[in-house]
Amino acid sequence: MEQKLVELMAELFKIQKEDISDSLTMKDLDTWDSLKHMELIVSIEQTFSIELTFDEIVAMTTVNKIKRVLKEKGLDGNYGFKR
Amino acid sequence: MDLKDKRAIITGGVKGIGHSVVTEMIKEGAIIGVVDKDAHGLNTLRAKNQNIFCIECDITDYHQVEAAVDEFYKEFKKIDVLVNNAGILYSSPLISLTAQGLRKHDVSMWERVIATDLSSVFYMTVNVVEKMMLHRTKGVIVNISSVSASGNIGQSAYSAAKAGINALTATWAKELSALGIRVVAVAPGYSDTESTHQALSKDILKDIVQKVPLRRLGRAEEIADGILHVIKNDFFNGKVFELDGGLIV
Repeated sequence: MEQKLVELMAELFKIQKEDISDSLTMKDLDTWDSLKHMELIVSIEQTFSIELTFDEIVAMTTVNKIKRVLKEKGLDGNYGFKR
Repeated sequence: MDLKDKRAIITGGVKGIGHSVVTEMIKEGAIIGVVDKDAHGLNTLRAKNQNIFCIECDITDYHQVEAAVDEFYKEFKKIDVLVNNAGILYSSPLISLTAQGLRKHDVSMWERVIATDLSSVFYMTVNVVEKMMLHRTKGVIVNISSVSASGNIGQSAYSAAKAGINALTATWAKELSALGIRVVAVAPGYSDTESTHQALSKDILKDIVQKVPLRRLGRAEEIADGILHVIKNDFFNGKVFELDGGLIV
């Protein structure tokens, strides 16, 4: 899951994979604005075949928080498939 | 989209095209809220069908719109469809030649038409889409445009408002489609409705009919049928569906 998430974010925000750490937040990236955030949400939903609630969407403002939500959704840490 | 049990708000649903949309959507099993400033018309509508949720509201007032959408959402917990139908038709040249000299387009009418036909669409949509996002509803916004959007003699305000609606339709479709919210427009030609007859003289209407290849005005139920078509077709998005009897070809 983590690998896929990093690839997805790197492509969306036009940054290097190496620059994506757990502590990365929306505030750190000019390209991670409200519209891009919605694109990110849709990409995550499509990639991991999940549906996020509004509360989850607004909470996902850091890489760490995104990972936490995905884990709560039952996604494992390696492959991006549902258990 | 299957309309059965879907929650829909229609502005200006008391008469004309809006009323036909209400009638057709009820036939499809939708749960309807009508937002209109015509209190008497709303009472009549409610008397005919108590299941219609009627909200009296001046859609040019942002706070009234916000309250109206909240009221519907509180009652039905979800909004699937918004039809931005309410509007006024006003015709006046930019400059009129009169016996007394030149008369400028009434600025208060410019402001009234823009407020009613354009700003209200923004007010309604921003509040409804907020609810759709809160609920992650894959809904539809239908904006009623007009053939006048491409510019019509004597209709500065109306044409500008409708062109604005087309631009909003494209903008919102690009913004919201990823969330599963479609935004579409329907542009009727000249229709046989009360507002058309009020705004245009018999002579002008006769002339217009001669220009329509089908040689007649559109019927409200035909426009309503087009509106239902764009709601139901899940692949129609960001575009303007022109229903004008071939007037613009």
